[in-house]
Amino acid sequence: MNSEAQGQPVVLIDGLTRSFGTSTAVDGVSFSVNAGEIRGLCGHNGAGKSTVIKMLTGQLQPDSGTITVDGEIVRLRNPHAAQRAGIAVVDQELSVIPALNVAENLRLGDVSAGFFPGRGARGIQRQLLDDLGLADVRLDERVTDLNLGQRQLVEIARALSRNARLLILDEPTATLSDSEAQLVFRAIRRVAARGCAIIFVSHRLREVLELCDSVTVLRDARLVGTASSAELTVSQLIVQMLGEAPHRPARTAGAALDERSPLSVTDLRVPGSVSGFTLEAVPGVVYGIAGQVGSGASDVLRAIAGLHPGSRGAIGLAGSSLTRNDPTSRLGSGIMYVSNDRKGEGLFLEKTVGENLTSTRLPHLSRAGFVGLNRERQQRRLLAGLTGIPDARIGEAVSGFSGGNQQKVFIARTLDRPDARVLLIDEPTRGVDIGGRAAIHELLRSAAASGMIVIFASTELEELIELGDVILTMKDGHVVRRHDGDIRGDELMRDMTHDEDARR
Amino acid sequence: MTARQLVSPERIVVAIVVVVVVIVCATTPQFLTLNNTKAILASTSVVGMAALGLTFITIVGSVVSLATAQSMAVVAMVFLAAQSWGLVPAMLISLVVGVVIGGIQGLAVGYWSINPVVLTIVTAFALTGLATLVSGGTTVNASGDGFKGLNATPGGIPLSVFVFAALALASQIVLQFSIKGRQIYLVGENRLAATSAGLPVARVVVFAWAAFGLLSSVGAMFLAAFNTSATINVGGSLTFDAIAAVLTGGTSIAGGRGSAIRTVIGVLAISIISDVLLLRGFSTGAQIAVKGVLILVFVVVVQVRAGRVAR
Amino acid sequence: MTRWRGRLRVETVLPGVSLVVTLVAFVVAAAAIGRSISPYDGYNALQGFAQLGLLALPLGLTMIAGEFDLSVAGVYALAGMLTVQFGQQQPLLGVGVAVVTGALVGAFQGGLIARFRLPSMPVTIASYIILLGVTSFISGGLTKTYTNADATAFVDQPVLTLFSPRSLITLALFVAIGLILSFSRLGSELRAIGGDRRAARASGVRTDGLLVGLFTASGALAAVGGSLLSISYSSANPDPGIQPLVLAVVAALIGGVSLAGGRGSAWGLLVGAVVVALLSQIVIFATLPGYVTQLVFAGFLLIVIAVDAPGVRRRVAAYVDARQLRGTRE
Repeated sequence: MNSEAQGQPVVLIDGLTRSFGTSTAVDGVSFSVNAGEIRGLCGHNGAGKSTVIKMLTGQLQPDSGTITVDGEIVRLRNPHAAQRAGIAVVDQELSVIPALNVAENLRLGDVSAGFFPGRGARGIQRQLLDDLGLADVRLDERVTDLNLGQRQLVEIARALSRNARLLILDEPTATLSDSEAQLVFRAIRRVAARGCAIIFVSHRLREVLELCDSVTVLRDARLVGTASSAELTVSQLIVQMLGEAPHRPARTAGAALDERSPLSVTDLRVPGSVSGFTLEAVPGVVYGIAGQVGSGASDVLRAIAGLHPGSRGAIGLAGSSLTRNDPTSRLGSGIMYVSNDRKGEGLFLEKTVGENLTSTRLPHLSRAGFVGLNRERQQRRLLAGLTGIPDARIGEAVSGFSGGNQQKVFIARTLDRPDARVLLIDEPTRGVDIGGRAAIHELLRSAAASGMIVIFASTELEELIELGDVILTMKDGHVVRRHDGDIRGDELMRDMTHDEDARR
Repeated sequence: MTARQLVSPERIVVAIVVVVVVIVCATTPQFLTLNNTKAILASTSVVGMAALGLTFITIVGSVVSLATAQSMAVVAMVFLAAQSWGLVPAMLISLVVGVVIGGIQGLAVGYWSINPVVLTIVTAFALTGLATLVSGGTTVNASGDGFKGLNATPGGIPLSVFVFAALALASQIVLQFSIKGRQIYLVGENRLAATSAGLPVARVVVFAWAAFGLLSSVGAMFLAAFNTSATINVGGSLTFDAIAAVLTGGTSIAGGRGSAIRTVIGVLAISIISDVLLLRGFSTGAQIAVKGVLILVFVVVVQVRAGRVAR
Repeated sequence: MTRWRGRLRVETVLPGVSLVVTLVAFVVAAAAIGRSISPYDGYNALQGFAQLGLLALPLGLTMIAGEFDLSVAGVYALAGMLTVQFGQQQPLLGVGVAVVTGALVGAFQGGLIARFRLPSMPVTIASYIILLGVTSFISGGLTKTYTNADATAFVDQPVLTLFSPRSLITLALFVAIGLILSFSRLGSELRAIGGDRRAARASGVRTDGLLVGLFTASGALAAVGGSLLSISYSSANPDPGIQPLVLAVVAALIGGVSLAGGRGSAWGLLVGAVVVALLSQIVIFATLPGYVTQLVFAGFLLIVIAVDAPGVRRRVAAYVDARQLRGTRE
């Protein structure tokens, strides 16, 4: 492991706090990372990891607390400032540009590069790529021709080439195979040996313990602690991340209401993402698909909703097969879809709550092509009641509401409709606070109880356990296991993060 | 409304424009006469009908059409040429031609997501070529007398004004209360969200473009009746006038917002400004330039305001 | 399969194939009419290239960056008018005024677009209208005559049989821009902001500065083109119509640029402009009536934008994906 010889903290965060509206995402978190140290940062979704990272990369400003780099307090106003402060990042959201070739991506946005790229640069770039196992990728190859894993490696190479003081990697191995991950680790260790501090965020706990010198755990916006990885096991790490083993609150599990009208999905395939998903879902039971980024869970829902015209496989509802593969026909068949991006692909932000609520059921409220205003008003009040939004605020633009309320509006759009048979919902409580979560889970429970087939996808362990009667874990595009009855959090976590021995 | 919203920079700009316009109008000698008012109303209605149609496609997210003048010219030519079959048949044929021209563009934009502005550049060019091909480059004269009925002036006010008012009312009702109308706003605001929600996006886009074709055809018929003959250039600066009218009314060029009422206000504003400029002896070039400045000002103002609200 | 597809990229194949096809068509058309090809045809084609090149280049560059500068047609017209207005005695003064004006117009637009995060199309449409109006205003709606016969003779005199100072200047500008984009960071940054604006910004590219510079250059280039044209024609026309724009867009799309942005180079644009110039030549010496030209080019433009349309590409991709899946089933 790396020596403590340098000992000087490269980065020190002190009392970092950040809230969004009424929910606190990060609460007084303080830790430091030394030069040459590889620090793992763990915590399940919602613990505050990504918010801390965003503050370190200049994408968000802290409400209070300071960030110190090499002894000097820095204000990271934007990504450019963070780069100048010596912080390089491999973000969860890929920012390699497909239109450019590999060499251009490596150079892109480098604050220290000149107007004309030097000749010597090519040699360094070649070396970087070879070290990461991309020996057969040409420097002039277009990134569009690379697969997801290779793109990830190019993005990592770019960060490595920046001569940074602090290198942050957020889920860098999500789309990589074991061997590719090993190459990445070797490169990271080399960079650390040069005195760079590393923060490594990952759900793959075995990898975290293998690579990192120490691990910092966050839970519910607070710091749990930092410990040397030599003293930790995966199980202990899981316990720290979850606190007490989560137990399901006493409630009646959903009972199958009508076995005769299931949604049957057989061998669903989405090119590049899902390879053979099969499920027979009945009304009354809440099904959860558990999988991290890149597992294919989202794409399963999208494909059923008709948003993947290139997908293949047989989908049938109540006995009749759904042959037309487009969102309008699927909606017509009673399949409601709630995406994981309510702002970009969900709500109509400038429209009012009322308009959003009735936006997808206008034909049901109309006669001869014209909307019946009274019926619409009644329906809006009814649906708003489900969301807990007061009547007086139905006429306000939905952009002015909290994430939780927005999400409730998004979901309420699909509720209380005689034509709705299936509810597909991706990340039901993303960006929603505790109170909102409970309300949303209640909405979904009652939807199932009223005869709908409810299938949700989530990366949050607590939500999966609380909400799901049956859980299918997914990894790398295929189903790992089906969990019925008594579901244990650590088992799910293991399925989602543990590398299978048998690979495709 | 908060005090901040009341005195926002955007409102100040609009207020300045309004004040300037009012002052200029008041100080223009022939402005406040009856004849002048009639002249304003007459020119308003043709631009108005084109602008009403344009409103539909702007709200649905297709930005603008750069082929308005040519489309209307073609319909005008068809209208006059078909007069020998009677006024009503000629009107029906013209409406069909207009709807087809609009509808075909709508199909391309709705089903293929073709860039709408560039598509209308193609349309303008193609229609110009087509018209020359069919008419042999000569002026199209009326083949009958029926069209003169359109030039009637019930109560001293041109018939076209009444028709414009009726169409404006109908457009407002369709946009605000019909299923397709509501869906036009949704698709215009966020096409991705609309698709994901299962809305019939392509059909909605075709509807909007067909409406554009229909409304501008009515305008084209009055245009033909007024000019009594037509070439491909009879549309004049209608393309820019319609754009100016829609945007000055406050409809957002990004789509998803606006209304027929706003367009009516914009049409009146543009007509008044054009009239004042004409009375004051501004050349055609200057008039066009002023309209362009107005468009630019309103594009910026409306976009900035939308950006501020969303944040 | 991916490797093979990768090497045959649209932005190299399309211009190349189009050029070959057009040259063949040129020869065939000449033979069909029974006239032999002379160097004069080459000269004429290059003159046509000079006419539309400095519209296609700036428009194409803005398209690469994911924008669309419709105002280039307006700057082109205004530049011509300003050159005639101010360059009667001193042609260079006229050209200078025109280029500075073009650059300022571009800088202003670029500033608005960058500062207020506006989409470029509505802004440039508005500018186009303003510029046409101002152009018409200057000449009172009439065509203005340029009396400096020496300057007119100079710009079009044959150089090395095939070229003229006008086409050489145009060519030089293409080459200069091409070299700058190929060998500096500007080339990849331009494609980056066109390909994925968000990712480019997140990577540290100075998108705002780049946009202002881009539109400034666009205005200046269009101004040079319009200037030279009015000197050559000895007149400035206040209403060039929509044809120049159509030809410029066709040239850009044939040159491998996409309306979606992120793809293309100055070299592709060069080839695209030459192709369109050759096509225009074919139409001219086939002495087809004007409206046929219009319909032919409208048809071309329709085909290229249909092929470029996202909806079409999506359907093709879905079809290919489905075929792939069916293949791997066994």
